[in-house]
Amino acid sequence: MSAPSRSPSVAVLGLGLWLPGYPSLGAWRGGAADPSAQKPVGEALGRMHRRRAGPLGRAVADAAAEAMGTAEPGLGSVATVVGSSIGEAATLVSLLDQMWRGTEPMSPADFTVSVHNAASGVLSIATGNRGFTTSIAADHDTPAAALYEGLGLVLTGSGPVLVLCADEGAPEALLTGDEAWTIAAAGVLLGAADSETPHLGHLHLLPAGSDVPSLEPAALERGTVLNPQVGLVDLVLHLAAGRRGAVRLDRGRGRGFVAVIE
Amino acid sequence: MIRPAAPLLVTAYSMVHALGEGREQILDALANGRSGLGAPSPGSLAQPLGFETAVGEVRCELPELPAELVARSTRLARLGLHLVNGLEAPLARARERWRPERIALLLGTSTAGAATTERAYRRFVAEGTFPGAYDFRLQHTYGAVLDVLRALTGAQGPALMVSTACTSGAKPFATARRLMAADVIDAAIVGGIDTLCSLTLLGFHSLQALDRKPCRPFGAGRAGISIGEGGALALVERRGDARVLVEGVGETSDAYHISAPHPEGLGALSAMGAALLQAGVGSDAVDHINAHGTGTRLNDSAEAKAIAALFGTRVPVVSTKGYTGHTLGAAGAIEFAFSALAVEEGWIPPSLGAEPKDEDIAVFVPTVRTEGRFRRVLSNSFAFGGNNVSLLVGAP
Repeated sequence: MSAPSRSPSVAVLGLGLWLPGYPSLGAWRGGAADPSAQKPVGEALGRMHRRRAGPLGRAVADAAAEAMGTAEPGLGSVATVVGSSIGEAATLVSLLDQMWRGTEPMSPADFTVSVHNAASGVLSIATGNRGFTTSIAADHDTPAAALYEGLGLVLTGSGPVLVLCADEGAPEALLTGDEAWTIAAAGVLLGAADSETPHLGHLHLLPAGSDVPSLEPAALERGTVLNPQVGLVDLVLHLAAGRRGAVRLDRGRGRGFVAVIE
Repeated sequence: MIRPAAPLLVTAYSMVHALGEGREQILDALANGRSGLGAPSPGSLAQPLGFETAVGEVRCELPELPAELVARSTRLARLGLHLVNGLEAPLARARERWRPERIALLLGTSTAGAATTERAYRRFVAEGTFPGAYDFRLQHTYGAVLDVLRALTGAQGPALMVSTACTSGAKPFATARRLMAADVIDAAIVGGIDTLCSLTLLGFHSLQALDRKPCRPFGAGRAGISIGEGGALALVERRGDARVLVEGVGETSDAYHISAPHPEGLGALSAMGAALLQAGVGSDAVDHINAHGTGTRLNDSAEAKAIAALFGTRVPVVSTKGYTGHTLGAAGAIEFAFSALAVEEGWIPPSLGAEPKDEDIAVFVPTVRTEGRFRRVLSNSFAFGGNNVSLLVGAP
């Protein structure tokens, strides 16, 4: 007899956010958008490594730093899962321009940071983290996939796990008009359900197509709503507000995975 | 904390790469030290390279997707279909045994649909519009090929594409093990696929990392990698008749450089150690290592130092990249399959290109076919970003 389809539970130990105008969850809670905050800074990467990171890597670093906060074990040794639907697509477009427009030779520096795991790699290098990191994608189901990966790590004894989801703005050449989105990043620090660390709640996951009443999604800019990572943004905002209930992780654009805040 | 855990049962696997598609064809090439590397065939690349290099091209005919999926048809997706066809009977049994939402699809790729996009982008640059049949969402994204393989396999559980460059095809085995241990799934289709594309070849050329000749891992004259394409899929199940086991997986980071390995192989060493620790065995339990062995001076030197530190010179170390080329996001999965062949067949192939040997490579690299009892084989994969994975494949 198979186990029930709902996953076991994990605790949420920290939250992070980066949206245009709201460079942290703290800024979101403050209410008023900061029009000058349109590009993530990537403070946690330090000056030397920040130069290698594009908007995606910087947004991931900003969300990571906020979600980790002062919690143990710190960015230097926490396991990290980075989810992104299109990864370093802007760098890909830049390489394709170099390739086909022939205006300049292909840049080896651009090539090395065109890989999907550039964001997770630069974060591990900048923070001296020699532990686990991964980089995954599943279009609009990326938040669900990243949470499953994080949950699997926590439940098999990896200690706290930082789950970060981000997509930079959709490259105009490849996704236009109604499909285009703006940059967004969110992060949750997960720990064991019986963790003695102060936590913000517990959550478990329900499989694709789960038909359960869900919490009303947060009011967000249209560009953010279209970002494939909006499901994790929603989860972070509900957790930050202390709400309990089911959160759809894809805003209706994926397979219908659900996170339930207990 | 890494806890020894129940091994992952691999009940079936399939592979396709430059050596061919069928088990006998692949075994024959390996046994006779016959490489699949050669010049790119006409039309296989979007842009002529303008320099000499060997590639590991899949030359067999790939099946076309069924009509309902044809809008998603790419070489990557067709490679995926080819691999799924190779698992048809075991997958049918798994679908009868397990609920669909308890079967996961956990894959890896580094290029995703780049080979399709680079051709479409050529038209965009020339004419300002993409070809009518091109769709970034259906043909390029990492999720696009996941959707195709979900439809083809009937897996309805968690689905994800790992993209950690050259470890992408190895990491899904670890994800499957965790999700099974956490009782989220009962079975998974795991593996990796990647296709040749001009962009990748030009990128590695810009790094001066391509050998003009077929790659020569661990050889004195080695001068870089040869790029290949292909894939491998494995069916892993909670219960069943295992052909091989994945007894441990080590996953670590170098935290050193985005594209160069730690010169002493510290990340590689910790990944291999973690795989052994997870399996609860010591280094003396390993009978063979399928090395990452790309053929670059830095990688092979660092990896050999790490292997020597943990295993000395006792264990035969073979790189199979001289046969297939470096298949990037598929390499971890294909080399899992080569490791499984070693366990099942009781012999390992010569490490192509290793002669004349580099005297600074202080590990045992056999250059002839070697018979033996290979009960446990370690398969290494290392990647840009300083990402390291080591799989311990064992006999049931």
